[in-house]
Amino acid sequence: MILRRPLLWLILALAALFVWLPLRNHDVALREDLILVAVAIILTSNLNLMIGYTGYVNFGHIVFYGLGGYVGLYLATVLNWNLIVAALIAGVTVSVLALLFGLGILRLRGAYFALATIGVLVAVQAFVANFEPWGRSTGMYVSFASYAPLGGARRALWITYYLIIGVMALSLVLSLGIRRSKFGLGLFAIREDEDAAIVLGVNATVYKAIIYSVSAFLPAVAGALMFFKNGMIDPSIAFEYMLSLEGIVMLMLGGQGTVAGSALGGALYERLRSYLLTSPRLSEFHLVIAGALLLLVVRLAPGGLIGWLYRLVPRSREVVE
Amino acid sequence: MKRVIFIAFLLSLSFAATSSAQTITVGFTVSRTGALNVDSLEQYRGFELWRDTVNAAGGIKAGGKSYMVQFASYDDESNSKRVQQLYTRMILEDKADFLFSPYSSSLTATAAIVTEQYEKIMLTTGAAEEKTYKLGNQYLFQMFAPATQYLTAALDALKARDPKATVAFVYEDASFSVAVVTPAKAYAQQLGFNVVFAEAYAPNTTDFSAIIDKVIASKATVLLGGGHYADGSTLARQLYGHKVPLKMVALLVAPDSPQWSELGDAAVGVIVPSQWEPQSTFKAQYGPSGADFGKAYSAKYNAPPSYESAGGYASGLILQHAIEQAGGTDTAKVAAALNSTDLTTFYGRSKFSTVASEHGLQVGHTIFLAQWQNDKSGALVKQVVWPLAGKSADLKYPIR
Repeated sequence: MILRRPLLWLILALAALFVWLPLRNHDVALREDLILVAVAIILTSNLNLMIGYTGYVNFGHIVFYGLGGYVGLYLATVLNWNLIVAALIAGVTVSVLALLFGLGILRLRGAYFALATIGVLVAVQAFVANFEPWGRSTGMYVSFASYAPLGGARRALWITYYLIIGVMALSLVLSLGIRRSKFGLGLFAIREDEDAAIVLGVNATVYKAIIYSVSAFLPAVAGALMFFKNGMIDPSIAFEYMLSLEGIVMLMLGGQGTVAGSALGGALYERLRSYLLTSPRLSEFHLVIAGALLLLVVRLAPGGLIGWLYRLVPRSREVVE
Repeated sequence: MKRVIFIAFLLSLSFAATSSAQTITVGFTVSRTGALNVDSLEQYRGFELWRDTVNAAGGIKAGGKSYMVQFASYDDESNSKRVQQLYTRMILEDKADFLFSPYSSSLTATAAIVTEQYEKIMLTTGAAEEKTYKLGNQYLFQMFAPATQYLTAALDALKARDPKATVAFVYEDASFSVAVVTPAKAYAQQLGFNVVFAEAYAPNTTDFSAIIDKVIASKATVLLGGGHYADGSTLARQLYGHKVPLKMVALLVAPDSPQWSELGDAAVGVIVPSQWEPQSTFKAQYGPSGADFGKAYSAKYNAPPSYESAGGYASGLILQHAIEQAGGTDTAKVAAALNSTDLTTFYGRSKFSTVASEHGLQVGHTIFLAQWQNDKSGALVKQVVWPLAGKSADLKYPIR
C-alpha cells in the first residue's frame, strides 16, 4: 500500500512547504526561485520513469514539455479556454502522441533508441516551426488580457505557481506509485534484462510504450502552465536541447531509479545554478564551477547522492526510496 | 574633544553623502553566455558607457537633486527560463527603479510580463519584434525601429532605383527573420515588384547550393533575406562563388559586423539594414554627437560601436532625459515624460506610440541601409546609402 510508505508523507510535506514558504511573507522572489526548482523536479522525476526505471535513455524528453506548452498556450490564449482545462488537454494530447511515437521507436534498444529520441525532438521542432496556427518560428505571445480571467497577471502568476507545485507533488507520487506496483516491477525487469523479462511474460513493447506515454503527461501539463506564465513561446525556447541534457545531469546527480534521488538532484542542481548565477563573486564563472562540481559527484558517487546515502546508511533504503 | 570633532566630521560626511548624491538603480539581464552573447555584450557596453559618462558628470540632475546611476545585472544565459526569476529579483531585492530589456525579442517579451505586473518602466533595446508592444502594455518603450521596417527600407531604395526588378526572399527560419520577411513580402507586392521566389532555410544551414540553383532558375535580380552571422556570411560567400547574377543583395544582421570585410570580394555590395551607423549625422538635441560617442566608445573598448551598443547608450540617454523632464524618479511621471518624448539624439529620432493598442512602439526612429563598398584606397568600408538625406555614399546598383 502506497499510503504506508513514509516517502509519500515526505512528498506531501515537501509540497506543503513549497506552498507555505513564499506565502508566509508574500515573497515573490522566493516564489520565482521555487517554481524553477519545482519544474526541475517535475522534469527529472518523469525522466526517471524512462531512464531510472526502464533503462531507456531519453535525450529528447524536453519535447513533451515544449509540445505541452504549445498546445496549452494555444487553447488558453487563442481559444480562451480555462487554464487548467487547457493544461490537462495539453497533457492528454501529448501523452497520446507519445504513445504513437513510442510504438514506433521503442522497438529500438540502447544507443539506437537514444538517437531516435533526438530525432523525435528535431522532427517535432521542425514541424512546429512550420505550423502556421502556432505562429511558425515567431511563436505565440500571451496578451496581458489573457491573465484577466485569473484576476490579472500578478494573481495569475501565483495561481500558476500553486498549480506547478501540485504537478510536482503528483509527479513524485506517480513515481512512487509505479515503483511499488506490479507494472513497476515489470519495468525494472526490462531494465535489468529485457529478453529475460519477455521470457517471463512481460509484454515489453506495451510496457515501454505505456511508460513513455505516462512520462510525457505531467511534463506537458507543466509546460502549458510555465509557458503561460512565461508570456511567450517559440520553437527555440520550447524545444531546448540543453534542458533535455540538464535533466539527465540532474538525475545522475540525485541518483537514477529512485524517487527521492530525482527530486533531490533536480532541486540541488537548480539551486546551485541559480546561486552561482546571482552570486556577485562567482557569477563570472558559474558554468565552470557547476561543471567541476558535477564531475566530482559523478566521479566520487556514481550512484548519485542517494546511492551514496544508501552506502553510508543501508537502512535508509526503507524510507528514501 | 578630538573624538567629538571626529565623530561630528564623520556625521557631516555621511549627511552630505545622503543629501547630495542619491542613487537610482537600473536593472537588466545580459546574455554573458549562450547564443546571444556577442550582440548582448555590445548592448551592455552601451549601457555601461552611458552610466560612466553620467556618473563622471555628477549624475542625473532632476528636481534639484543629483542621482548617481548604479546597475543591477545578471547573466540570463540567453535563455528565457531564467529571465522572469532575474527580473523579479531585480525589482524586489535589488530595488531597481527602472529597467532595460534583455537582448532579443523573445527574452524581452518574457521580461515584460514581470515588469508590467510591478508597473516598472522598461526601455527595450535589441527587441525589434512588434508583437510584444501590441499586447496591452503600459510601461514598455521600444528603442529599435520595429522589425517590419528592416527590409521595407531596402524595397523603398530599390523602387527608387529599379522599379522593374524581380525579387527573391531567402531567409532563416527563425523568429526574427520571419518577422522581418513576412511584411516585406507583402510590401514588395504592394510596390508592384514581381516576387519570383521565397524560401526559408533551417537555422545552421551551411550548404545553400540547392537554394541558389532555385534562385538562378527564378531569374531573380534582387535577393533579400538572411538571418544571423553564420548563415548570412555563408550565403553571401556561396552566392558569390556560384556567380549568381544579382544586382542587389540585402541581408539581415550579419553584414553589420566588422568581421564582414573578411569575406573579401563576396562582401562587396552587400547591404545591411541597420538601426544606426557611425557615419550618421543626426544633429543631437541632447547628449553627445555621434562622433563623440564613437570616440568615447572606441577609446574604452578598442572596437568601433555597433548599432546594438548605440541602442544601449541611447536607451540610457532617453531615460535620463525623461527623469530630468519629470523632475524625479516617480514612475508615473517618468512614464508620462517618456510618452511625450520626441527627441533627436546621436542615435536618431526617438518617439513612442501612445495609442493604447500599440503603446511604446517606436514610431520616430527609422532604419538605415548600409552597403559595403570599396573606398578610394580599395579598402572595404560600410557606407550609409539610405535614407538619401543621411547618406554618406551613393547606392552601388547593380553591384557588379
